[in-house]
Amino acid sequence: MSQQHPDVPFAVTLDVGSSLANLTGTWRTERPVYVDRLPPCNHACPAGENIQAWLAYAEEGDYEAAWREAMRDNPLPAIMGRACYHPCEGACNRSPLDDAVNIHAVERFLGDQAIEKGWVPAAGAAPTGKKVLVIGAGPSGLSAAYHLRRLGHAVTIREAGPVPGGMMRFGIPAYRLPREIVQAEIDRILAMGVDLDLNHKVEDIQAEMKDGGFDACFLAIGAHLAKRVDIPTPDAGKILDAIGVLREMDTSENPPLLGRRVVVYGGGNTAIDMARTAKRLGAEEAIIVYRRTREMMPAHDFEVEEALAEGVILNWLTTIKEIDDSGSFVVEKMALNDEGWPEPTGEFDTIEADSLVLALGQNVDTGFIAKVPGVEIDKDGVIQVGPDMMTGFEGLFAGGDMVPSERTITVAVGHGKKAARHIDAWLGGARHEPPPRHELAGMDKLNTWYYADAPKAVQPALDVVRRQTSFDEIHRGLDETNALYEARRCLSCGNCFECDNCYGVCPDNSVIKLGPGKRFEFNYDYCKGCGICAAECPCGAIEMVPENI
Amino acid sequence: MLEQIEGSHAVAKAIALSRPEVICAYPITPQTHIVERCAELIRVGAIRNCEFINVESEFAALSVAIGSSAAGARTYTATASQGLLFMAEAVYNAAGLGLPIVMTIGNRAIGAPINIWNDHSDSMALRDAGWIQLHAETNQEAADLHIQAFKLAERLSAPVMVCMDGFILTHAYERVEIPTQDQVDAFLPPYRPRQILDPSDPYSIGAMVGPEAFMEVRYLAHDKLLQALGVIPEIQKEFEDIFGRDSGGLFHSYRMEDAKTVVVTMGSLAGTVKDLVDDLHKDGARIGVISLCSYRPFPLDGLRYALRGASKVIVLEKSLAPGFGGVLASDVRMALQGVDTHVHTVIAGLGGRPITRKSLARMFARAERGELKDPHFLDLDLDIVRREIDNQRGQITAGPIAENILREIGPCTPKAV
Repeated sequence: MSQQHPDVPFAVTLDVGSSLANLTGTWRTERPVYVDRLPPCNHACPAGENIQAWLAYAEEGDYEAAWREAMRDNPLPAIMGRACYHPCEGACNRSPLDDAVNIHAVERFLGDQAIEKGWVPAAGAAPTGKKVLVIGAGPSGLSAAYHLRRLGHAVTIREAGPVPGGMMRFGIPAYRLPREIVQAEIDRILAMGVDLDLNHKVEDIQAEMKDGGFDACFLAIGAHLAKRVDIPTPDAGKILDAIGVLREMDTSENPPLLGRRVVVYGGGNTAIDMARTAKRLGAEEAIIVYRRTREMMPAHDFEVEEALAEGVILNWLTTIKEIDDSGSFVVEKMALNDEGWPEPTGEFDTIEADSLVLALGQNVDTGFIAKVPGVEIDKDGVIQVGPDMMTGFEGLFAGGDMVPSERTITVAVGHGKKAARHIDAWLGGARHEPPPRHELAGMDKLNTWYYADAPKAVQPALDVVRRQTSFDEIHRGLDETNALYEARRCLSCGNCFECDNCYGVCPDNSVIKLGPGKRFEFNYDYCKGCGICAAECPCGAIEMVPENI
Repeated sequence: MLEQIEGSHAVAKAIALSRPEVICAYPITPQTHIVERCAELIRVGAIRNCEFINVESEFAALSVAIGSSAAGARTYTATASQGLLFMAEAVYNAAGLGLPIVMTIGNRAIGAPINIWNDHSDSMALRDAGWIQLHAETNQEAADLHIQAFKLAERLSAPVMVCMDGFILTHAYERVEIPTQDQVDAFLPPYRPRQILDPSDPYSIGAMVGPEAFMEVRYLAHDKLLQALGVIPEIQKEFEDIFGRDSGGLFHSYRMEDAKTVVVTMGSLAGTVKDLVDDLHKDGARIGVISLCSYRPFPLDGLRYALRGASKVIVLEKSLAPGFGGVLASDVRMALQGVDTHVHTVIAGLGGRPITRKSLARMFARAERGELKDPHFLDLDLDIVRREIDNQRGQITAGPIAENILREIGPCTPKAV
């Protein structure tokens, strides 16, 4: 017992901490443990971004730190904030509460801030003396080059075209992705000391590696060969391919001539981009013909909605049979069979149009790759790679649209990062072992009622009428105030954000606050394992673990 | 000033005059009018520098009172019946911590079956919690005892319950002399706590204490209440000096000069008994009355001395220890240990059963004739209890007694005796 003062009641008034002799933690059968769980946004990100981490910096208003955190995984935040289809937002636990956090808008804000303020990536590792050849200056190749450079390797990109950017330039229209943004982010990568050879089409990989003294090669040439379908026509000049038209938009002085009525054949994002581009080129009608239903279109729904708002016409459950002598398009109606697949109905119709643009997907130009020993090309015409992104040829890695996966910029950027890490390990004679993934922080782990209501901040958009005649960017960015607000809508799923709930509810004062940014720890001498902290943690960052008794 | 006033409101005025700093209470019949009026008095500014804290339960009420008292505020609360039981843990804590809280008990029966009327079951249930328990005989005494209670509590650093019979006192309009503020200020100095919880000079109170010291702590609590046996009469005298009337003390004696039979009772019942005793004296009976004011501490020596001339003692009490008998009677027997005086136990008025002079007179007569069984239950309807006992005999499931009796006697109020 502590020292007794004569003026105060015996054994009733005691010095502070006299109860500390009673180590009530020994009563415990379960112990709370602070954990970090995987937020669904991070889990869903094909580029493996630690979205929650950079949102946390943005929440504090430290945009440069937020940008640097994003840049650990993605060298193109201004581009991705515009062109990524943001699967993160689809997975966001905030969706059922009000709306998903507008992650892409915050990322875009960070990317634009970096360009405006001239932030540059931190210096990378010391030079390793290794040289890596990157073939293709699309998102995947640029991403790989950036990450390899940061890891200390010398990098040369060889690009067949006259400008870098790949599908970021040739696939995505300027109204979605302004070219000066693309150029700014590419320039920043090149400024890190990445060499870029333009108009250099690689024909013999082995020879170029040998001649250039390259220790490894990352292949990311994308998929640029438009898929064709045989449509009988008296005038083959009326049939164009979407990738070709979109490329011409960027490389030719004169915009392509499509006529007053344009039919686009296909149901993917390229078909939508094509139809909207046709509208902007002056077409009175841009008609998308698709053989399945609206619901089955691979295009993202919000893009379809935007296209419809701009006056694009959609004919689903329709196939194009031929273009007849009078120039009319003969189309056949389709119907879904019992299994839900479209079947011809024998019912025909005609559409009057000046041109047909095919947007049926793209193939990989595998000609020169097939010559490399050990490289396997599967029946879909894509290159087989292992879990480490390496082809069958030792030291030759591949990624982006040319390997089996979803074809998006974000996947490509992710491939570039992943390949760079494996190449780095391979160059050092080791294997890259990705760290184990944390358990997913699903909705069931959250106590959402602790969070205040906060509807999503809406990005301003151009009026429909103005969109139809201009390639100006449709969506404007967030400004500093609403970007901050938006970042603060993040629930921090699965990771402590120091809300003090556990600290406040602990009946035993057994949660110790370590200071701002340092989170908390449990005092297991006194924690009785009641579990209130775990039950009341808003974000699911506390787990109860049975004691070994 | 003399006022014709409801007992509860007289008490609220006495509380106001005592300058409390925190009042927190949860309403329960028959205490409600007291705390409602206290709240009104704060609202209209008749009690200054006082915070009325609304709470969600009796447990919270006394817990808040403990906090505010430990922080150095003169603190008041009030409750009754199940409310007192609900705060039982805190009742012990307040005493253990030596906090001079004053709490009114509007004495009421305890369920089940639920009953809102008066007896002493509630405060009796907490008689050993370490509080001083004072019982008021009249509304004048109820008001006076509250003013005395703050002084007593603060002088000893011990909590005080002022018990007043529910409805019989709380809801009765009587003449009550309401003191002036100057009188009360002269009697009751500002509260000077023995210690105050102060974040700048921290210590802990009531933390765990092991077997090596607990006996001593409990002995000291016992000793403190024994000290109160001396302090209570001192305060009674100080009060009389300023206010000019005898209120409080350990117990009141009435017509004890040559009493052979003495009725010992507690609370408002003493009034009825005194009236009856006056009548009986006209017929030559030698009956005296002792009405206890201080039930805890219990004035063993004082009672033993006061009862020295009695040959027969009738303890008339509104409490029952089932399976044992009288509670108060047992304590009186303790006072008469070794003395050859017959002590009768009479249980009366449970759950508000009226105690009439007629029934009391009949009981006294039986006692004189030596016909009183022990314990005796005043006005118990023997037909009903015998029938119910017979009904239950041999039954496997007895069912609730109250419902069985009501089924027997029909949907009416218990018959007046």
